[in-house]
Amino acid sequence: MDWTALFLSLRLAGWTVAILLPLSILSGRWLAYHRFRAKGLVEAMVMLPLVLPPTVFGFYMLLAFGRNSPVGDMWLRLFGHQLVFTFEGLLVASVIFNLPFAIQPSQRGFEAVPVEVREAAACCGLSPWRSLWKIELPLAWPGVLTAMVLVFSHTLGEFGVILMMGGSIPGVTKTIAISIYDRVQGFDMQGAAIMSATLVAISLATITATFMLSARIGRRLG
Amino acid sequence: MCGETYQLVLPMTFQIRRRAFFAGLAALGLLAGPLLAQDDVPVIAAASDLKFAVTEIAAAFAAETGMQVELSMGSTGNFATQIRQGAPFQMFMAADERFVAELHAEGLTRDAGTLYAEGRLVIMVPHGSALTPDAALDNLAEMLAAGTLTKFAIANPDHAPYGMRAQEALAHRGLWDAIQPHLVLGENVSQAAQFALSGNAEGGIIAYSLALAPEVADLGEFAVIPHDWHAPLRQRMALLDNAGPVAEAFYAYMQTSPAREIMVRYGFVLPEGT
Amino acid sequence: MAPAVMALDAMAPEAMALEAMAQATAPIPLDFAFRVEPGELLALVGHSGSGKTTVLRTIAGLWRPTVARVSIGGRGWLDTAKGVDLAAHRRRVGVVFQNYALFPHLSAARNVMAAMDTPDPAGAARLLDLVNLHGLGDRRPAQLSGGQQQRVALARALARQPDALLLDEPFSAVDRATREKLYSEILALRAHLKMPVVLVTHDMNEAQLLADRLVVMDKGRMVCTGTTAQVMADPTALRAMGIREVAALLPATVVSHLPDGLTLLETPAGALFLPLLEAAPGTVVRVRIMAHDVILSRARPEGLSAQNILAGRITRIVAGQGPAVMVHIDAGGHEILARITRRAAETMGLQVADQVHAILKSMSVARDHIAAGAPAQGGD
Repeated sequence: MDWTALFLSLRLAGWTVAILLPLSILSGRWLAYHRFRAKGLVEAMVMLPLVLPPTVFGFYMLLAFGRNSPVGDMWLRLFGHQLVFTFEGLLVASVIFNLPFAIQPSQRGFEAVPVEVREAAACCGLSPWRSLWKIELPLAWPGVLTAMVLVFSHTLGEFGVILMMGGSIPGVTKTIAISIYDRVQGFDMQGAAIMSATLVAISLATITATFMLSARIGRRLG
Repeated sequence: MCGETYQLVLPMTFQIRRRAFFAGLAALGLLAGPLLAQDDVPVIAAASDLKFAVTEIAAAFAAETGMQVELSMGSTGNFATQIRQGAPFQMFMAADERFVAELHAEGLTRDAGTLYAEGRLVIMVPHGSALTPDAALDNLAEMLAAGTLTKFAIANPDHAPYGMRAQEALAHRGLWDAIQPHLVLGENVSQAAQFALSGNAEGGIIAYSLALAPEVADLGEFAVIPHDWHAPLRQRMALLDNAGPVAEAFYAYMQTSPAREIMVRYGFVLPEGT
Repeated sequence: MAPAVMALDAMAPEAMALEAMAQATAPIPLDFAFRVEPGELLALVGHSGSGKTTVLRTIAGLWRPTVARVSIGGRGWLDTAKGVDLAAHRRRVGVVFQNYALFPHLSAARNVMAAMDTPDPAGAARLLDLVNLHGLGDRRPAQLSGGQQQRVALARALARQPDALLLDEPFSAVDRATREKLYSEILALRAHLKMPVVLVTHDMNEAQLLADRLVVMDKGRMVCTGTTAQVMADPTALRAMGIREVAALLPATVVSHLPDGLTLLETPAGALFLPLLEAAPGTVVRVRIMAHDVILSRARPEGLSAQNILAGRITRIVAGQGPAVMVHIDAGGHEILARITRRAAETMGLQVADQVHAILKSMSVARDHIAAGAPAQGGD
């Protein structure tokens, strides 16, 4: 059982969720409330990572952030080491790759808030910020929660992108998915099976717990 | 009165649950932090055919010196690309010296490196396969001619040295064109072994060093392919620019007799003069 | 009820007049200008699509026409010429929406408190008492009926301590019986609503019953404005609204309920008998009398089945385009309208200042033309 890899995966998923949560709320809300001519294009671009094969995506990430890129250069200058093949590099890729999961369901959640309710909130003297906290989030949170659950589980299972730009470095970029792959290649079927089962169990437990919690809250809030 | 209290408490409960959720996330984030603190434990990029051999050598190295190394297994070609992109490996053990030479020419290695072994190919089949392994690949030729071969695995000739050599061997035997539609390509020679022995293919051409590992040997039968059927697998290793003292020590250890003995046990041929 | 009403009085800020105007051709055509005094109720009437809701939204800050001005007590909320545009949440405006727009996840009391600057549970409870929702503060909107939800919406709008109260077709989603009750309650509150009130409605009956002044909208344009009496008596204005029937509004006081199933009411112009009313003796009601349901007679008729006969003096005779004329009659200080044929008028030789009797068929004073409440300021 590769505990390092497991904690690495959990850490990656946790941080991805932490970064995408505010982004999900603000972007989902903005897209839900505004109508503009380029909206279709923006929505399509948000969905783009979903239609790209993970390896293609990883390849583009390498090009965009690798040694020979402006971003990679700047990172090297700032921090003294490469962005790719590091945990931070994985995190950047993970955040981008999970954008569709983070934004889409959240957008749907905010779209479900009736326009009249938002207008009523404004007419009650609630500023847009207070309206978000007191009125809109309490109504839109199922969408946001779905988004975060999807991001978490998707990141836990992500393989292709991490393989391309991670380098499978133990303790740094060797997530549990890659570790399982490694075990299989090393003919350690038992090890692979144990880790796979653990991963499935954790994912299931997280998702189930989250949805049970949300159902209970949902019942109370009506 | 009770109803009023319930109403006051409920939004608070929601707040608490929300906060608990975020706290849980943060805990996850902080978790594993200490686990990843690294002292100088260098990561060695090793070609997949070395999987079992170098794992044993690393264990012996740790036993003797108390120093640890981390091993990353994969295809030689992929490693070369990643090293060019700045992957933080400190030592590269390639299955084909050409890749080391290229990196050296680009100034990414400390020197031209050292030849540490010569590899061999075997044809291996899982138990119960319709194919029987023979060094001259006669049975393979028969099955191809009869049209009864379904799938045959080799490493990807584009970037895996064992795949390139497998192609040469098959071409030498005159089977390359005929076998094309039946090939399954592994991303590296380990994966090729996976495909060859998982029961989904009749067999494959893989590294001798893998076939000799107990985990693999139990799964089927093999025969060593004549080494003059293909260009030699001259396996070269080199320290990379950022190599530290532990990596240097391991590099040196690879050339000592304990390490060499292990290599021989795994079917590697030592370079002349060692 | 008294403490609740007193609470409302205490909450009332300094009352100011509301002025609003707009002129725009696109995307929504608008052309209007009006002023509402403190305590006055102005009704915006017209078909759907006539722009009346847009006017309301302009005042509330939910819509900005290309050229518009909205000010309260001289303080500008919106002035496109000067680049002033206060966001809706910065305008002190109380809005009651057509479909209530209550916050579904909050109880009634918390809905009301959401509009307060500092949440005051006791104040919220008092407001809910005021709209006859005593004890229902803990219920969620889903657990309330339509009429109850609308009352919560009203309480919430009042909790804002608004400089202007805006009602957007607040009764259209409610059934008829509840609507009547709500009319009564609104009229009861009227005396204590010190701020200007704007009501959007497509229901003429509602407008006539509740409003002091009317603004008639058609395709975004204001086509007519004036006191309720003026507009309701103007056939041109009414035709713009597609109303063919002109009606007069008469205040009457309930005297007693008779054992034979009738209620006796007293008006300055005479007694009225109506089918049994659900109003206590002493209640002042408004009775709507359709002009085409009025028959005129010089002498007080006898031996007629009609029981409702009011005496008055002709103030005006207005010829219409068809064969009818509209006779305006002063009955004890209030106006009654009678639409009769020109031929009848000529045959009877009706002149201004003539004394006539207006005969109302009992059936012409229908139930939904009655609302209980204080008469508008100035009287109809």
